[in-house]
Amino acid sequence: MLHLLDVRCKFLMMCLVSMSMLSAQVFACFFYFLVLLFFFKKTGLNIFATLNSIKYFILFLFFIFAARALALKGDSLFSFYGLSVTKQGLNDGFLVAFRFFLVMLTGLLFSSTTKPSSVKSAVQWFLKPVPFVPEKRVAVMISLSLSFMPVILKQAKEVSEAQKARCGDLQKNPIKRIIRLVLPLLKKTFLSADYLVLAMESRCYSDDRTDPEFTPSGKEFFFFAGSVVLSLSLVCL
Amino acid sequence: MTKNIIDINAICHTFADGYIGLKNISVSISKGEFIILAGKNGSGKTTFLRHLNGLLLPDSGVIFVKGLDVSKHLVQTRKTVGMVFQDADTQIVGDTVFDEVAFGLENLKVKRAEINKKVTLILEDLNLFHLKDRSPSTLSGGEKRKLAIAGILVMDPEVIVFDEPFSNLDYPGTIQVLSTIIDLNRSGHTIIIATHDVETVICEATRIIMMEDGQIKKDGTPDCIVKHLESFGVRQPCSSKFGMGLQPWLS
Amino acid sequence: MNNSKQLKMTVYTSLFVAFIAIGAFISIPIGPVPIVLQNMFVLLAAIILGPVWGLACVAIYLLIGLAGLPVFAGGTSGIGKLFGPTGGYLLGYLPCVFVTAGISKGLGKKMSSDIIAMVIGSLIIYAAGVPWLKVVTAMTYGKALAVGMYPFLIGDVLKIIAAAFIAKTLRPVIKL
Repeated sequence: MLHLLDVRCKFLMMCLVSMSMLSAQVFACFFYFLVLLFFFKKTGLNIFATLNSIKYFILFLFFIFAARALALKGDSLFSFYGLSVTKQGLNDGFLVAFRFFLVMLTGLLFSSTTKPSSVKSAVQWFLKPVPFVPEKRVAVMISLSLSFMPVILKQAKEVSEAQKARCGDLQKNPIKRIIRLVLPLLKKTFLSADYLVLAMESRCYSDDRTDPEFTPSGKEFFFFAGSVVLSLSLVCL
Repeated sequence: MTKNIIDINAICHTFADGYIGLKNISVSISKGEFIILAGKNGSGKTTFLRHLNGLLLPDSGVIFVKGLDVSKHLVQTRKTVGMVFQDADTQIVGDTVFDEVAFGLENLKVKRAEINKKVTLILEDLNLFHLKDRSPSTLSGGEKRKLAIAGILVMDPEVIVFDEPFSNLDYPGTIQVLSTIIDLNRSGHTIIIATHDVETVICEATRIIMMEDGQIKKDGTPDCIVKHLESFGVRQPCSSKFGMGLQPWLS
Repeated sequence: MNNSKQLKMTVYTSLFVAFIAIGAFISIPIGPVPIVLQNMFVLLAAIILGPVWGLACVAIYLLIGLAGLPVFAGGTSGIGKLFGPTGGYLLGYLPCVFVTAGISKGLGKKMSSDIIAMVIGSLIIYAAGVPWLKVVTAMTYGKALAVGMYPFLIGDVLKIIAAAFIAKTLRPVIKL
């Protein structure tokens, strides 16, 4: 359902709802959490696997929660070692952490229902009215860097294994360790980048290219109206 | 001009650092030929190939592709002569198989509907259609090489140039790529393959050009050339060594 | 700038976008805090690509992350991360890359000028990141510095020295 929606519409919906989250109150947050759960269920995503993938972020949220709870002044609930936990702090910390959590989940829902290549097309479309930005070249650069990433990761693994095979992990000097990992990696990839430049030239690369295509599913208006209503109610609740 | 698809007239190329790449090369290639460009590493094969596609321009001499001077008609040349590079990983631009094949057509500003039609056709032809949404980095070696061929083929080239197409491929991968190349030749494409391992393709070839030190040393049919291969640092195929003539690599 | 040179810069810049994204995942275990290489790649992008392409590089990286592709630390992305507690560091990359590249170029691409440029660049990242962290978590400045800057300083010094060596070796190889 969300998979088929036009990526531009989905992107706007995500921005709208995320913005409105910033001024949502606790009740609205719970309400939106339920809405999100519904969509996660609908799209067949495993919520626990998703939570697992952002476990460090959740840890960070606990940290914000604790920091806020300790830092804000108000009615002290209990105190230890001279630090006092306040009621206002707890409430405020919970709300801020909850909002970040929900914005994060919204983003995950978006990225797990959208192909990277259509994200790229959407970026190109949104950049079009921005002056001085060659949006088509930006789109090409996005796909280039996306295709470089797995190649670099694979090479990083090879480089570090080749060094382990020669007892490179006995090296204690951290500067040398950084250089020995990064330098061969950069050299290797820049060399292959030179080949890529040739390959692109031989395929007639030009900045003046065919526009990407979008395939609206026809339900965009419905969904977009829905997200406007949702955002408004999140702000007002 | 002549009916030759490529005419090369006394080209020389010296690199910026003074290294001499090509010395006075003249050769003509006619439509439908299957040429092996053999020679050891550093003999100038790759430099020669890059001239065919206009990636390098000669210091002196001229190259005509379909009667047009390459240095003045770069886009036209690159549409006629497609080039498949040695390392498939480094020539992949797109983040999905479909986008990768569409790249060349997007550069030429072909209409989107036509791009979709052509790319689909090519992917089906090469038996890659079921992979169209995959990321190229997750494909096997043979599939990657075929994807690189598809990316060239979609631009309707008449000549396809391969630089070491079989390096780093396993046996099934080599079979996949070889049979693709043979099919291309049968459907009328002119094929030029640079390699230092001629065994895989020698039976399909119509002509072998031997290079050494940036010069063409021998030029003729596989039967004539095969006995001279080793004096230029290229291994002679087993079957020929043992007096059985040239045997096809694909059974 | 001719076409071929421009295409080369386009490809190199994309390559650095990929390195910055991957830098969030490559870490070298030294002592209790593993050294994450991301900010080193930002600094390298600055001194190798120069101000304009360097800025484009970081901007595209942030754009990709903002648009929901998983390129931020921990495999995350999106508005939540960019405006989250550590978002200041990410946005700080923008002025950092520009200033670092400018200083390195202005002082003439020597190793000593690279080091000065990168030290200033790193400080800019913290100047953006720490106040942001303070606002989001409502900590005092003292605490925000203790959590968001001091533990990383030793690693930063190591990374800057390494980056200076790397840049010195790399420049003749990639001939820009």
